[in-house]
Parts: sequence; C-alpha cells; structure tokens
Amino acid sequence: MKILVCISQVPDTSTKVVLKDNNTAVESNGVTYIINPYDEWYGLIRAIELKESGVASEIDLVTVGKANTEPVIRKALALGGDKAIRIDADSNDPYLTAVYIADYAKSEHYDLILCGKESIDYNNGTVGSMLAELLDMDYIGFATEIKIEGNTAIVKREIEGGEETDSCNFPLVISCQKGVAEARIPNMRGIMAARTRPLNVVTPAAIEPVTSILSYELPPAKAGVKLVDPADMDQLVELLHSEAKVI
Amino acid sequence: MSVIVFVEHDGGIIKKKNFEAVQYASGIAQKMSATVTAVILGTIGDAELEKLGEYGAQKVLHVEDSRLDELHPRAYTSALLAAIEKEGAKIIVTLNDINGRAVAPRIAVKLKAGLVAGALTYPDMEKGFVIKKAVYSGKAFAYVNIASDTKVIMLMPNTFPLAKTEGKAAIEKLAVNFGDKDFGIKVKEVSKVTGEVSLSDAALVVSGGRGMKGPENWYLIENLAKELGAATACSRPVSDSDWRPHHEHVGQTGGTIRPDLYIAVGISGAIQHLAGVNGSKTIVVINRDPEAPFFKAANYGIVGDAMEVLPRLTEAVKKFKLHK
Amino acid sequence: MNDVENVKAIKGGEFLIRETTAESIFIPEEWNEEQLMIAETCNNFLAQHVTPNLNRIDAQEEGLMSHLMDEAGALGLLGISVPEEYGGFGKDFKTSMLVTEKLGAGNSFSVAFSAHSGIGTLPILYYGNDAQKQKYIPKLTSGEWKGAYCLTEPSSGSDANSGKARAKLTEDGKHYLITGQKMWITNAGFADVFTVFAKIDNDENLSAFIVEKDFEGITLNTEEHKMGIKGSSTRQVFFNDCKVPVENLLSERQNGFKIAVNILNIGRMKLGGGTVGASKEVISMAVKYANEREQFGRAISKYGAIRHKLAQQAILTYAAESAVYRASQNMEEATDMLIESGLDEIKAKLKGTEQFAIEAAIIKVHASEVLDYVVDEGVQIYGGMGYSAEAPMERAYRDSRINRIFEGTNEINRMLTVDMMLKRAMKGELDLMGPAQKVAGELMSIPDFSAGGDEGPFTKEKKYIANFKKAILMVAGAAVQKLMTQLAKEQEVLMNLADMLIELYVSESLQLRVEKLVGLRGEESCKEQLDMMRVYINDAAEKIARSGKEALNSFAEGDEKRMMMMGLKRYTKTDDLNTTQARRNIAAKLIAENKYCF
Repeated sequence: MKILVCISQVPDTSTKVVLKDNNTAVESNGVTYIINPYDEWYGLIRAIELKESGVASEIDLVTVGKANTEPVIRKALALGGDKAIRIDADSNDPYLTAVYIADYAKSEHYDLILCGKESIDYNNGTVGSMLAELLDMDYIGFATEIKIEGNTAIVKREIEGGEETDSCNFPLVISCQKGVAEARIPNMRGIMAARTRPLNVVTPAAIEPVTSILSYELPPAKAGVKLVDPADMDQLVELLHSEAKVI
Repeated sequence: MSVIVFVEHDGGIIKKKNFEAVQYASGIAQKMSATVTAVILGTIGDAELEKLGEYGAQKVLHVEDSRLDELHPRAYTSALLAAIEKEGAKIIVTLNDINGRAVAPRIAVKLKAGLVAGALTYPDMEKGFVIKKAVYSGKAFAYVNIASDTKVIMLMPNTFPLAKTEGKAAIEKLAVNFGDKDFGIKVKEVSKVTGEVSLSDAALVVSGGRGMKGPENWYLIENLAKELGAATACSRPVSDSDWRPHHEHVGQTGGTIRPDLYIAVGISGAIQHLAGVNGSKTIVVINRDPEAPFFKAANYGIVGDAMEVLPRLTEAVKKFKLHK
Repeated sequence: MNDVENVKAIKGGEFLIRETTAESIFIPEEWNEEQLMIAETCNNFLAQHVTPNLNRIDAQEEGLMSHLMDEAGALGLLGISVPEEYGGFGKDFKTSMLVTEKLGAGNSFSVAFSAHSGIGTLPILYYGNDAQKQKYIPKLTSGEWKGAYCLTEPSSGSDANSGKARAKLTEDGKHYLITGQKMWITNAGFADVFTVFAKIDNDENLSAFIVEKDFEGITLNTEEHKMGIKGSSTRQVFFNDCKVPVENLLSERQNGFKIAVNILNIGRMKLGGGTVGASKEVISMAVKYANEREQFGRAISKYGAIRHKLAQQAILTYAAESAVYRASQNMEEATDMLIESGLDEIKAKLKGTEQFAIEAAIIKVHASEVLDYVVDEGVQIYGGMGYSAEAPMERAYRDSRINRIFEGTNEINRMLTVDMMLKRAMKGELDLMGPAQKVAGELMSIPDFSAGGDEGPFTKEKKYIANFKKAILMVAGAAVQKLMTQLAKEQEVLMNLADMLIELYVSESLQLRVEKLVGLRGEESCKEQLDMMRVYINDAAEKIARSGKEALNSFAEGDEKRMMMMGLKRYTKTDDLNTTQARRNIAAKLIAENKYCF
C-alpha cells in the first residue's frame, strides 16, 4: 500500500499575527514555522504507524511551498516517510493547492492520501475533498480513527453530535483529526536519517488562482472585562440576560 | 439566475444553522436580483421543507432518495450538480461544517469555481466579490476575492441572527441518476450522543480546563450546562489527560466554535485556546488566578474557586428560569 | 600581545596572552538545521514529559524518573556523542552541549540526565577497554541501564583523593572487594551501573571500578532531603566487601584520580551549558509574567525597575552562552588536531578536554552564578507569586543553588583557574612572564592615548579587552613576585584573580560572538546584541578594577602600589555609557517577543 501525506507549513500555534504592507500581508519575520499539527500529529504519524506495522509499503510526503518550507519538510522526514516532494509554488488558494498536488499524484497511484482536517493558517479544510474530486477518489473527512483491512479502510469519523464508522475501498482520501494517532517527537535516528531521504522539487504548471486574499485585519480588542462578585451569581445571570442578551 | 443553497437536515428536521444558510443565500440573491433555490437531500416531509420559504427560498429542489440520509460526498455532489445545472446557478452556498466540507470543495473543483470557506460577511460586490473570513484560527481575518465566474461560499454557522419572513417556497422533486461510484462509502455504524447539545452548533457552551482539578469534578460543568441547555467543551490539557473525550477539545488544534456565550472555567487562556473560541459573542471567565490571561479576552470575569462558583451559578440560572 | 597567526591552535589558558579572531570561534547563531531539530526534540521532550510532571518528579514518584530516562533514551538523547559502534550517534561535543543546554531547563530531570550521560557514562566510554565498552555503553546509551558515579565520601568532598574507600584483591585474584561509604550519589536510587572510586590497598591514588547494582555487598541509604532538585535521587551508597570482578577495574590501578579530574572537566563545561539552558527558560517565564501581571493599571513589564532586571538577566545569559560555546569549539578543535597528529580518538578527547580545563572551571563558576542571579531576580519579578510553591519560580530558585556546589564548589574552581594558569606558566606551556614584563614596562612609559585607527563598532571594546588582559597580568605578576610560594595560601587573592580572569574570558567571548554575528547579519539586526556587549564589558571593567584593587591592597605597598593602582585605573577605564538606555532597548526586545529571544 502506497500512502501520500499532505503537509503544510504554518506559523507555530503561539504566534501572534502581525500585519504588514498596509495590511495586505502577514509578517513572517521572527515567526517560527511548524508542520500543520493536524497533518503531523495525525496524518503523518498514522501513516508511519501503518508502515511500522507492515501495512503500508511506502510513504511519500508532499507540500506546496517555496524553498523556505524545506526545514519543515525535513522535520517531517525526521519523523518518517520515504521521500518528500516539494511543489515549488506559493499558494493560499485551496483550488490551486489541490490541483498542484493532484497533478503530481495522478501518475503515482497512491492507495491512500492523508491530510489534516484543516491547516491552522487559512482554516479552509477543503484541499482533501478537492483532491478526491480531482483524482476520482472517495473522501472521508474529520476522521478520528483509521484501520486498514486488506483493501479497505475502516474509518471512524465525526458527525454532527456523534460518530460514524465507515468502510471504503482504496483509493481514498482521508482528513484526520485528534484520535487518529498520538503526536510523536522526532528521535535522533530519524533526525539523522532525514538528511538522506530524498526531497524532490517539482515545478508546477502555471495555473491562475481562482481566489486571492486582498487584505487582512486583526480582531478588535475586547472592551475590558467586567468583574462580578463570586458570591453574587444572580448578578452574572442578570447581566447575561439584560446586557449581553445571550440567555 | 438563481443562487443555490445546500440545506442539510438531521433526520428530517432542519436546524437553525441551515435556515441561516438559506437566509444568507437570499441576502446575496437580493443584491443580484436572483432567486434562491434550496437543495435538500434524503427523507424529509414537505411541511418541514415549506419552512425554507420563510427564510427566503423561492424554490426547493428535493432529491428524495433514502440513500442520501447518510453522507455520501460523491452522491451529494452529483445531486447538487444536477440542481446547479437545472437552475443555471453561478453562486452556491453551503455551510462551513462537516457535510459542507465534504461536498462544497468537490463542487468547486467540478465547476472550477473559487471557494471561500467560513464566510463571515455578504460578498462586497463593489470591490469584486470580496468576503471576510477568519484565518489563523480567529487570530486575524482575511478579505478574499473570488475571481472565477462561478462561486462557492461556505458560510460560518451562527454568524447572522435569523429573521422569519412571509415568503413561500415552491417544492419540486428532483430526480438524479447516480453513478456507480457515488455510494462507495459504506456506513457501518452510527452512534449519536443523545440528549446532549452538539458542540459545533451550540449557542451556549460551558468549558472546563485544568483548573477543574480532575474528571471527578466535571459534574459541576455538566450541571450548569444542563441548566443552561448548553454544550460542554474543554481545553487541550484536559483532553490530553483523557479527562474528557477528544471531540470536546476546543482551541487552535481542536475545534473552533463561535457560540453566543462561552463560559470558561479554570482555563488560563493560552493563545492557542483563545484562537478556537474568540469568535464567541460573549465570554465569561471563571478562574481562581486573577492574573489568568483569559480575563483580558473576557466580557465578564469571576475571580473565585470553580468548586464554589459553579454550584452558585447553576442555582442562579435555575432561579432565573423559574422567574421568567 | 602575540600576533594572531595560527589562531586555530589556540591553547587552553592562552586567552590571557593572545588575541582571538571572531571568525575562529563558534557562535550559537550558527547551529545547522539538524542541530536545531535536535534542540527542538529536547524542547518537545521537556514540554511533553517533564514540565507537566514536575510535581510528581519532585515527589519522587516510584519509577517515574527512571521511566523518563527510558523515554530520553528511546529518543536517542542519552547517546548524542557516543560513537555509533556503541549505539550512539557520534555527534560532536557542541551538539551534545546543545542537548545538555536544552535539557538544562528540566529541573531535577536535567540533573538525572547529566549525571547519567556525563559522569555515569563517560568514565567507561573514555577509559574502558573494548570489552567494558561493549558490555556497558550500548545499554547506558539506550537507557536500559542507568549510570551513577561514586566519588564523594562523607569526609572527602572537594579533596577527592583523600577518600577512605578501599579495595583489596581476593586471594584467588579474581575479584576486588570494595569497602567504603559514598555520599551525595546522584541517581543512586535507580542506577544499574556505578563508577566507584577507591584506593587499592594502601595506594597513594584512587583507582576506578565499574560496579553493577547486583554485585554482592551494595546497600543504599534512604533519599536525602534536599533544598532543591528534590526529584533527583540522591543517596548514600555503602559498599561492604562488594565483590567486583578484576576485569571491572577501569583503566589502570591508581588512574582513578586522573579519571575523576578529567571527567569533571567535561562535567563543568556541561554544567555551564545546562545552567544557560535553565537561565533562558527562567527568563522566558519572567518576561511572560511581567507582560501579564498588571499593577497600577499597566503590565509590570512597562516599569523601568522590571525592565532593568529582564535586560540584566538576558545580558548575563547571552554572555555565559558565548563563553560556553567558544570553549566547546576550542575543545573540539584541540581534540581534532590531536587525532590528526595520530592520537586515538578517546585519548585525544581527554587531552583536548584537559587542555581547556581552565576555561571549563571559568564557565562552571560564571554560568552557575548567572543562573543564581537569574532565578533570584525571577522570584523578584514574580513578587509574592515568586515565593509561592504554586508558581514555577520557587522551584527554579531552589533547584539552581546546587550548581554552585557540585562538580567542585565555585571556590575550588576559582582557585583551580589561577592554579592551573600559574602551573602552566611554570612548566613553560604558557608564556605569562613575557607579557607580564611587557606590561610592567608599559607602566613606566607614557600612556598611549591614541584612538588606534578606525572607530569600527568593536574598536573600543577590543581595546578594553586588551587592557583587561594587561590589568590581570600586572596584578597576577605582582602577586607571584610578592607572595611567591605563599600565594597558594592567600585564597582571597586567588579569588580576586579568578574573578578578573572570569570577567575577561566572558567579555572577550561575548565581544567575539557579537562581532561574528554582525559580520553574518549586519549591524542593523544586531542592535540588542551590541547593547548587551557594551553593557557587559562596561560592568566587567568595574568588576576587574574592584578585584584588582582589593588584591593590590592586600599585598602591595608604597610607590609600587601607587603605580600599579594608576595602571589598574588606566587598564579598566571605559568611556561613559548610558547603560540605562541600553538595558531599556534590550528589555523592549524581550517584552515584544514575550520570551528569551537571543
């Protein structure tokens, strides 16, 4: 079984967003970048587990990004994976990202494509589903558990107010969230092996994006907290009712 | 021309957030002098469908096929594409939720349409087709322009207040020929948590952090939630320690929620947690530590021991409900 | 001063009489991607396994520390610089120092880690024969076995060679029977392998033995109740005719003291790295707290008194770090050269380390005192919460204190610094007399007030540092001349001289680091680093002047004293510097980044 794991470089979760260039861009200076946690902790680690248990034979990693994403890719390779593919482009349009990956993946015949449920920068959560459409595959989103039985994936996924267990034959795209695997720390062996694992750079065909981000904005500051006496919860209920109008 | 809105339902009942999507589609349609066609799939009664008119749908296309009672992304896509083609729609609205994310991206690919996931505003057509959405898990907003002719918008639930109208919708049945691959996913088991409010579309949420000291104290959170009719949530350390199930984890690496009221108990308010909840309209923070950073993001704050404050608050809510 | 030819070959202690070029030193801003990844693995390990469990660790929950060591072993962190043939990763000394630094923020865990991977493993790795290494190193590297080191005894601490433990050969010649009492043994509670020092029969010097926990005749006392590092297992270990196979004698008979001293050299350097890591973490906590805590309606980080503290914490830490990695690189290069000249790797490592024993002692003293300053002010910044056991500063404060005591007290290390310097001079390895006489001559001549060419960003500081060297050579030269053999007994003077040497070494390391950094990144993006350098050297000048004065007042007199006092003034003179503004700039950066960010 051949697995493709889609990874994306995102700012570390503790990053404070700072805008620049008249609010048309987000400051990247001084920002620490990480692998999107949903991609790393769940998608990538589950793929590695499947390889360790002999179910998967090959794991490739793919990202869409410029050369500055390579440290993060090698960190992913330090966790595991046989090779990485960097599609040399900058994209914040999910359609464009999906087309780039699909163009690469279509000749590779992956049985399973794993991605995170969303990236924590643009929060779209749409690339996996788009990939499935582009590659004529099935798609299961918001997975919390992935098991493989022969040619079939048994997937638990989140539904509104509960959980559902699906089964689906390969090829298949799954977007992963908490529960699919446990985060790991790269060990010395992996870190040293990362350098020897291939990182291939692919130049994508020129495609026009269908969306573009014109500007950014930071949320307005909260007006300040109103402190309520811990002994007087009636007052809090009254404020929530008459002032905040939420109950 | 019409705007197509994909309407989900829960076992034949249409939820508030779906009416919100219809109303949103209607708002867009009015700006463009277009009509709104709601597309609904699976088993549902006409009486329920008629309600869609009250939120601005002129037409309802109902694909009555019981196989669609379960989510089958490809079948849903086929059905919606049939409706889009029939109506000549250039704008497709879905919700930014689990089913929306399974379907809207596929439609966008099929139609080579630009997509905005998590729309918070109506499109600004003066500047193109510009929609505001949250990015960096709520730490910032982006204004996204859709350049393509056909457009897919995934609305963030609980963004606009609902207002009923006198409108009526014409209900039409739509027959769709599904392909072999449309039902490739087999649903083996469904387990719904009954009696509890689902977190993703809850208007009120009570959430606990490490300050709750241990899972044995969670009844205090649950009692308050029950009294309020609220859903329960938790911070990452709590779910990491398995005090609470994973799906309750809200924050940058868990779920993002935007309820009307978020009550955070014993949560210090790390930036990662705030990112997942700062879209909440009103935030109440209960924490023993007056220095907890969460107070800076709160509307109301109570400095006190959760073990004492929570029962008092639950009582106060009970009293309030009696008097109302 | 000698010219700068063949900088690579700088020898230990030569910093006092030679110039070093910025290009020749290693600075932490040069870590490569792989090293940064290793550092991140350490950070993640602490964040996931150690920091959330500090209370449990300090309560010495059964099996927890041992389990954490297993986890560290599984990540490969116990064998960073162990050769690959013994299950390690063969990384250089700097990289192992980086791991020590990062894990240094792990409170009691970092003590267990250091004891295991340093004194618990290195004696066998460096002095063991192949069979010993094959048997013990892979298991110590994986964490399957934990290591401890038994040198100190109740009546023999700083004076290590005076231990009472004895070993005698059994009649069949197959075993040594060790009898003795060892004290303050880190990791004793869960260690599987002990390196034990004892004298065979009536030998003058110690021998070292590899002792397994299951050998007959070992008993452990209960855990000591300590001020800090409560999670670290510290016990007495009793050996009562403990039966050790003869093949477990480490190195040769009577070689134990040499082993102990050499391992300590590495341990001291590593202690410097670990305390730098702890300092950084404490500063980050302090900055975060200062940004969150509000008084009189503003975050306390907005107040000058707090900003001063934050800046000073960062300046000292950055300076200490500069010295740690400069010396680490020197040691590594010395080792590489010895290997090139035909020495085998292990011997070369030992000799290379020994070569920089002076720097190791300096680093041990300086970095441990920096951490004590940093935690003390950390508690102060936290105010009332700093004194509360619910906030992390209280633990940091207690845990820091041991660093000035173990691996040789700071007093012993100060004396060693001067002692080793003078011994090398006497052996002719280090030419102190020439330069000292030159300074004495200069004292008689008219001072050189010329600015000295271009006013580059480092011209002034380089001149100051050259002058510091003269000040030390002058005072030390006079002390040797006046006190002669009495000098060894005049401990106060030795302390003064050591303090001067420490300030010189750290000032120079910091100046070279910033110079190299500016070369890499440009002046514009190194403003705070330049400020740190200026403030540090400004303060160092005052410290050197004070120590020098104290020393001179104790032994010099008359015209000679007056002349030297004038010389001291001249050699420690610096231009006026607005240190308040400089510290504000540094603090502003820390506050904006909300963490230690240099």
